[in-house]
Amino acid sequence: MDELTIVVPVKAAVPNITAVRLDPNTHNLVREGVPLMINPYDRNAVELALRIKDRFGGKVITISMAPPNGKDFLESTIGMGVDEGILITDRVFAGADTLATSHAIAKSIAKLYPNFSLIIMGEETTDSTTAHMPAQVASWLEIPFVYYATDAEPNIKDGTVKITRYLEDEGLLEEFIYNMPIIMSVYRNSNPPRDISLNRKIMAKVNGLVKVLTNKELGLNPDCVGLKGSPTIVAKIEDAKPLPRKKQIFQGDPKEGAKWLLENLVKEGVIR
Amino acid sequence: MVCPEWNQVNKNDYRGIWVYVEHFNGKISEGSLQLIGKAKELASKLGVDVAAIMLGKDLDKLLMEPIYYGADKVIYANDDRLSIYLPHIYAASVVELANKYKPEIILFAATKRGRELAPYVANTLRSGITADCTALDVDPKTRDLDQVRPTYGGNILAHIRTPTRRPQLASVRPNVFPTPPRDESKKGELVEEKLSKLPEPRGRYLGSKSITEEDESGLPPVEKSDIVVVAGKGVNGVEGVKLLTDLAKLLNGTIGGTKKVTDAGWLPTSRQIGQTGRTIRPALYIGMGVSGAIQHVFGMNESKIIVAVNSDPNAPIFNYVDYGIVGDYKQVAEALLELLRERKKQ
Ligand SMILES: Cc1cc2nc3c(=O)[nH]c(=O)nc-3n(C[C@H](O)[C@H](O)[C@H](O)COP(=O)(O)OP(=O)(O)OC[C@H]3O[C@@H](n4cnc5c(N)ncnc54)[C@H](O)[C@@H]3O)c2cc1C
Ligand SMILES: Nc1ncnc2c1ncn2[C@@H]1O[C@H](COP(=O)(O)O)[C@@H](O)[C@H]1O
Repeated sequence: MDELTIVVPVKAAVPNITAVRLDPNTHNLVREGVPLMINPYDRNAVELALRIKDRFGGKVITISMAPPNGKDFLESTIGMGVDEGILITDRVFAGADTLATSHAIAKSIAKLYPNFSLIIMGEETTDSTTAHMPAQVASWLEIPFVYYATDAEPNIKDGTVKITRYLEDEGLLEEFIYNMPIIMSVYRNSNPPRDISLNRKIMAKVNGLVKVLTNKELGLNPDCVGLKGSPTIVAKIEDAKPLPRKKQIFQGDPKEGAKWLLENLVKEGVIR
Repeated sequence: MVCPEWNQVNKNDYRGIWVYVEHFNGKISEGSLQLIGKAKELASKLGVDVAAIMLGKDLDKLLMEPIYYGADKVIYANDDRLSIYLPHIYAASVVELANKYKPEIILFAATKRGRELAPYVANTLRSGITADCTALDVDPKTRDLDQVRPTYGGNILAHIRTPTRRPQLASVRPNVFPTPPRDESKKGELVEEKLSKLPEPRGRYLGSKSITEEDESGLPPVEKSDIVVVAGKGVNGVEGVKLLTDLAKLLNGTIGGTKKVTDAGWLPTSRQIGQTGRTIRPALYIGMGVSGAIQHVFGMNESKIIVAVNSDPNAPIFNYVDYGIVGDYKQVAEALLELLRERKKQ
């Protein structure tokens, strides 16, 4: 291996879901005016890729399957220091579940960067929170994968990479050494992203550093992408309605309130 | 039309429910045991068995445990190559077994390791997977698994199905379902499997280090307590958290926090409750200065009794309570402390 090629799949143009509100009357989601952003955890993935590049050299590419408005977010990653971006956008990709999305991403990487050394991804997306994609891309490419990386140190000479990862629920830091190529996802509370340089972002726009690809260039079977290539279907959507509760509310003197509460909790048998 | 590049699936060839039983350092993860209980319920609707899948080395001591918790059988592989957990090797092992036995459903506990493993298994089988389900049901006619999960930041619930492919895969966060009782008199079958087609490891495990976060409370983890007092941003700092910790101690409970509280460093992240933290289902949840954001509610909705104190009468948390007090958390907490101390003396 002479040079590292690091590909970072990012989900561009996701809604900032903290700005999503439920209409208090209709209980419908209010999506209008919700700002779009790059999936925030993907910026941590870009950061780890750039830290590796800063230390060991090489090239960092971001790639996203998104509607055309995703381009601007890829340009932002170039503003962070990424070298080039790929936007995969085509009507036939619409309605893809994570299997179909990972299929398109994996095939694009294999086609455009067949000699990639590392694929670095975000821990999960904030709008769908599945954390499926990194393992699925690994499955398509038939290479190993490790989630929740906090650090990675490649050795260009022998083609290995030492990966540290953090299992939050076990409070455990684990270390692995793998042959490249490998896929990792980045622990969301690690590698806080650097700022976006506006100059670099403008330079990316002016020089056309984000390439746009459709399925014409990729040549995937239309039956294997988008809605058709998705084994899962959303059978039904409902509002997340609160479970039935007693909803007894006390207003007044806090001492009286405490007494009222304690009496009720004793009656319920949860306090002895 | 199904993608012609995938293997053909005849749904009728697939029968039975599997639970992938995760274990680490000689201990089975609680989340896996909880799934056995749920799997049994689904299996009775479909008229099939529940099998636990166990991978590793020197498993003997653990093998009967899934049966004690309700599994009908345990299919296991005792293999040197599985002595250390490498995600793609473990995932490929489950794939190999699934191709042989053709279960119709495979369930995983959505621990950090489970969330890593399950999508690789699903994808390699070219089937669908749903992460972090909060409810599961089956349709006895189509034998489809109804996979319910919060999405779009928890604002909506999606019912997801995999109508054309098998097996159907889903992960469920620990503590969404209760742990079934353990019964050593239960009998079941142990089936040993030899794995043939494992991929190259291409990697090595170098070791691990336990890093327990700074946790001054000395109280049990949030999932392990029957009473959880939860601090929200409204407690306004470590002083407030300390007051609530005292309250938790007096109640023989434990302390937890919202994301805003753990993000601020007032409590360790291991005490964060919610969609991106821990799920709890205690007998009693007491939230103080918690607004009731849906992402938080998803981690505590199954609590038996929910109590909240909030100074804002319009705070969304009051939609989820059994008992609510509109007021200053500090005054209420101090009054509660006093009353509880008096009770203890009596
Ligand atoms: C992808 C994603 C995942 C998330 N995951 C989680 C998660 O796992 N867990 C989680 O908790 N959050 C999560 N969040 C964040 C969530 O949206 C909320 O921001 C958070 O839960 C709010 O925390 P809070 O209630 O402590 O603070 P706030 O929303 O700021 O509420 C503070 C409350 O305190 C009340 N208050 C103020 N002063 C007093 C007083 N003196 N006495 C009594 N009450 C007072 C106020 O009226 C207010 O209601 C997530 C968000 C996103 C986008
Ligand atoms: N549409 C997409 N295009 C490129 N990468 C994506 C896309 N969706 C998800 N990813 C990547 O997969 C990771 C996990 O996403 P998810 O499985 O959706 O939670 C993200 O953090 C991204 O790195």
